[in-house]
Amino acid sequence: MFNFQCSIKGPTKGADPKGPPGSAPLVDTEGIDMDYLYDGSFEGFLSCVYLHYYEEKATGIYPQDRYQNKLLQPWRIVETDESRAEKVYEATRSKISDLALKRVYYLILSNGEEKENIALGYLRLGFRMGCRVDSLHSHPLVFDAERLAQKVSKEAHLLTGLVRFSVLDVDVAEGGRDLLYAKIEPDHDVLELLGEHFSDRFKGDPFLIHDARRGKALYSANGQWYIAPLNEKALPDQSEREKAYRRMWKTYFDTIAIEQRINPTCQKRMMPVRYWKNLTEMRL
Amino acid sequence: MELYEKLRILADGAKYDASCATSGVARKNVGRMGNASCMGICHSWSADGRCISLMKVLLTNRCVYDCEYCINRRTSDVERASFEPEELAGLAMEFYRRNYIEGLFLSSAVEGSPDQTGERILRTLVLLREDHGFAGYIHAKIIPGVSSELIHQIGMVADRISVNIEFPTEDGLKKLAPQKKPAGIFRPMKQITETIADRKQLGPAFQSYPGRPSTAAHDIGYLQPMGRSELVPQPRKKYKERFAPAGQSSQMIIGAAGESDRQIIKTSESLYQGFKMKRVYYSAYIPVISSPVLPSLMTAPPLVREHRLYQTDWLMRFYGFQADEILDDGNPFLDLEMDPKAAWALRHLDLFPVEINRASKEELLRIPGVGTISVGRILRQRRVAAIRFEDLKKIGVVLKRAKYFITCSGRYCGDSELDPALLRNCLVKGEAKSNHLLPIDDNVQLSMFY
Repeated sequence: MFNFQCSIKGPTKGADPKGPPGSAPLVDTEGIDMDYLYDGSFEGFLSCVYLHYYEEKATGIYPQDRYQNKLLQPWRIVETDESRAEKVYEATRSKISDLALKRVYYLILSNGEEKENIALGYLRLGFRMGCRVDSLHSHPLVFDAERLAQKVSKEAHLLTGLVRFSVLDVDVAEGGRDLLYAKIEPDHDVLELLGEHFSDRFKGDPFLIHDARRGKALYSANGQWYIAPLNEKALPDQSEREKAYRRMWKTYFDTIAIEQRINPTCQKRMMPVRYWKNLTEMRL
Repeated sequence: MELYEKLRILADGAKYDASCATSGVARKNVGRMGNASCMGICHSWSADGRCISLMKVLLTNRCVYDCEYCINRRTSDVERASFEPEELAGLAMEFYRRNYIEGLFLSSAVEGSPDQTGERILRTLVLLREDHGFAGYIHAKIIPGVSSELIHQIGMVADRISVNIEFPTEDGLKKLAPQKKPAGIFRPMKQITETIADRKQLGPAFQSYPGRPSTAAHDIGYLQPMGRSELVPQPRKKYKERFAPAGQSSQMIIGAAGESDRQIIKTSESLYQGFKMKRVYYSAYIPVISSPVLPSLMTAPPLVREHRLYQTDWLMRFYGFQADEILDDGNPFLDLEMDPKAAWALRHLDLFPVEINRASKEELLRIPGVGTISVGRILRQRRVAAIRFEDLKKIGVVLKRAKYFITCSGRYCGDSELDPALLRNCLVKGEAKSNHLLPIDDNVQLSMFY
């Protein structure tokens, strides 16, 4: 039991010759260690983790499009390999925990700098300690991973409420069914976390959630959903009907506030201003 | 009258209702549109910082009652409107598919008789569920005096139903809402509790805590006149239709009838224990009507008091506290400057400091600055590694309060002696900085020169 205490306190002689992986990338001058570059996908990241264990150790993992070469630092582009990713995926579930797997997935969706290295450090600690890693809330690696993953899950939850759909009249193409369209600009790449919730909710209505910041969209119809690139800027004008409901919602929103309790600080804490530009009630 | 106008008038009439929870029931989309998430989803926050999750409206504000405190009383001079069940159901669906709302909260003034109003509420909800295939969240308010048959039918289509107790004391009800009788409030509450208990085994509203007196011995005071039969837990039955799966809640108005905080929390404790309520809401009275029996129109709403009452409510529901521990006859009011848990701790300094690495779950929950999430983390982490003082911040403990009440591996880290007066000073100073609810100190004047 006391070994774990050692690993919390930091590098101790004999416990791990390289010391615990810090949240900052390890700068290791040994020639064979590599910077791995991946395509930004979760599977791509897992493929890098596979190579870290089966080929050269990773000094760091970076997205391919944002990597800056370092002097004397060898690097390698890793092709996403489904079967390798699958192996790491299963190993994480069986050797650490489902929670750890979910946490790593959320980390890769986040916009955090160094998110890959936080995830790698967390996984390395996890493979050493097993599921007990989830109990070490104050370990720096676990703390960073937990906090960043929590930001992603909080934003996804917030957006299940803050997505605002407009009903577009699509007369022919959808066989008479209206299309619901919403635009979002989330900090983290949470689009795919919204799929299940809204597909179940709007089983009857096809809808499109457009992540304008990342140029992609979630399209769903009849309970099935897909994500595809979308750069559409021109959308049909809002119908009179749509405008009427927007006005009613705005009226409702303004009426429901109790004048004697006005508290903008509280409002902004719960609903950060950066989300306001896509909210019907704050724009009208 | 246009739908637009009706919405404005009837939302205005419903805004003083505090309830907005959409939690407590998880449901997949079993109809054509809508589902419910167990943790609840907030959709927006209005300018007063309260969340908007349900579309909160009255079916009508034409009322036959003349309750002193109510903006919609018969003799009040406000615009009147009523929704037709069809147009309200249609509007709720249009709002819902645009993801403006999580569901409908439907209350009403009493138009005609309670039963007539109840029937119209039921008709609206049935239209939503059956004609529109709506499977989202519905919270229905039960009008006092409505027949038990109607209550049952409303419960079968709504997720949560509530009867407002309105005032924490019987005197308050007599004085301010003379047409509402305690029996008219407690009879539906009792019926709802019994139906829910009958259909499924009710879990305890409180977390179990050793030393808690059993419900049977509990003094239910104001609620006594109803003669409450003991709830015998029934074995779980197989059932298809669920009656109010998210349970029942209630609401009381704070600061209108001159009641003490002790009376308030004793009443809500009995509501939680006797009627197995999911939530009791407290609504700071906002003076909207000038009346000799009410606080004057110039009175500021008691927002800090409301906040402290909610904190106490949480202590009773999640931290194993009893109303009698928090306030007694000698101290009938909560300390506005300090949270109720810290106030309790200052009166029981002999129990502190508590050793983080050894204390039981119940002891940890009673440390000021330590919440339920932190307790879970402490319990988990100390199974694999000892907890040091530096770890506590990362675990989520609020050290500015907790440090005076704990030791970590035998070390005490507070910078004050364990003395009630000194500690009070430290705690209040720490709180004032971060709490915008508390008034600014009048003695401090802004100055351009130092």
